[in-house]
Amino acid sequence: MKPYTWPQGARAVVLLTVNFDAESFDLKETAPDRLFGRYSYGRYAVRAGFPRLLALFAKHGLPATFFVPGADARRHPDLVRELAANGHEIAARGVDLENFATLGDKETEVLETSRAILADITGTAPMGFRAPGGELSSRTLGHLADLGFIYDATFQDADHPYVYGLGGERKIVELPSTFALDDGPIYAARHTHARLLAIWRDEIQAMHAEGTLIPITLHLRGDFGSTRAARIAILDTLLTELKQLAGVRFMTCGQLAGHVLSLNLPTEPDPYLAHAETLAKTVYRGDLAVRPL
Amino acid sequence: MSQRTTFPEDMRCVVLIGIDFDGPSHEVGRGIAPLGKHSWGSYSARCGVPRHMDMLASHGIKGTFFIPGYDAERHPRTIEQIDRNGFEVAAHGYLHEAWELGAEEEETLLRKTDRILRDVVGKPVLGWRSPSGRKSDRTMAVLKSMGYVYDSSDKDYDRPYRLRFGKGRDDVIVELPNNTYSLDDFPFYKFSYTPPSEVLGQWKAEFDAIYGVDRFFVFSLHPRSGWGSGTPSRTRILSDLIAYMKGHDGVQFMDYRSFAQWCLQHRDNLEEVSFA
Repeated sequence: MKPYTWPQGARAVVLLTVNFDAESFDLKETAPDRLFGRYSYGRYAVRAGFPRLLALFAKHGLPATFFVPGADARRHPDLVRELAANGHEIAARGVDLENFATLGDKETEVLETSRAILADITGTAPMGFRAPGGELSSRTLGHLADLGFIYDATFQDADHPYVYGLGGERKIVELPSTFALDDGPIYAARHTHARLLAIWRDEIQAMHAEGTLIPITLHLRGDFGSTRAARIAILDTLLTELKQLAGVRFMTCGQLAGHVLSLNLPTEPDPYLAHAETLAKTVYRGDLAVRPL
Repeated sequence: MSQRTTFPEDMRCVVLIGIDFDGPSHEVGRGIAPLGKHSWGSYSARCGVPRHMDMLASHGIKGTFFIPGYDAERHPRTIEQIDRNGFEVAAHGYLHEAWELGAEEEETLLRKTDRILRDVVGKPVLGWRSPSGRKSDRTMAVLKSMGYVYDSSDKDYDRPYRLRFGKGRDDVIVELPNNTYSLDDFPFYKFSYTPPSEVLGQWKAEFDAIYGVDRFFVFSLHPRSGWGSGTPSRTRILSDLIAYMKGHDGVQFMDYRSFAQWCLQHRDNLEEVSFA
């Protein structure tokens, strides 16, 4: 495997990323006047989860990147300002957790709106984007580059950051992540926090040994997030262990994207083009996925 | 003729490491653009296949890559590298077809992938593993007509056997049965989110149960991210497992084609089962 050039001799870089996804997630399922009962796990995110996670990051003195849906930012501008005041990065995630694979012509408008909402609140335009649900269209990366975004953090196909060349001077840094270090799928499968700890220890040790990116994805929510008291304790343990690993550097996504651009890496081709022709004549069989009995 | 398959005394366990390449074909074949969270297949050529080759080379053992034709078209350099490093290139569908095909379409795609792989590596392809495990009553005849000597798709036995698919004298192919429940990475990493260290324990126990008994350990692994084993933690436990196996006497790591050739040369050791 080719070694990757991390900043100033770091052995591995950790990205602490948080998908803010508060009421916006519940509003995919119900109306604004029905955010009660089962649809109040998002309110947990802002009432209980947010202060707890922020206190943990402050205790460890670590910077994180928060991907904040525009509608959640509008509902909670004070929290967004608090993030910025604490040195965390704020990045874009659409407005209402839209599915970008099916947004069509509205994509640009949604991206522009989400960018404007965050810029109005913090005074700084977001540099990066992570697609809700991990869904992108063939045009999303190009729109991001056109609108002045520097990075995307949605793909799950590499051990290190890389750069997409999108024609002409357009390019976008990709900061790939992995479901193996995402609390969402693990807690959504109703696993214990002990099991998450076991998985993440295995993942982090091996990634550190190989000097890859260590991209951690957290959620604030009370259902599939990491902010319940027992889950925060697991996270506390993991962050303590992470900091003890040799040569580990914690960065925000924007800092890392800036570093990646400074490397002047050869670009990777648009990830859709090689498959466009085949996809145009292939029927949708997404429901073929093997499911448990 | 139909005695149980037996191994010579010194062959305490044959280990066949099969790696199903499963690049973007897996998503594209289902009409899904390999973007965002659907990009796991792109990890195969970029990271997983090189990491698996390095790991196997560090142990000095062989393995077989089962490759969809579509992925080979898009990553010919990677396929060449697999072959040049001494690993076997075998077939695994064109677009990782995980659905029923008509007889004519099935044959067309089997021949298409065979041609693609043969053109890239410049040597005949000798084996096939079904993507998703589907096959028809015609599949074996088509493989045989292309010169294939083995199939590794059936789930019906713990040992290799001679699969008779027709009445003719040569209507026989070596079957190297696999299973996608316990000797496959995907169930653990897709369904149960089992920690890699726990998967290692599981596979050691599987090996212990097979060693010296059925003596035949057939792996179905994937170099992609997501539910595959291409990532650092999961490749590490594969390496640990191989080290564990190597600590046992009489374990033979082979690529599928070499073991299929052994089966052809020791036909009296193999049970013959007729589906003709």
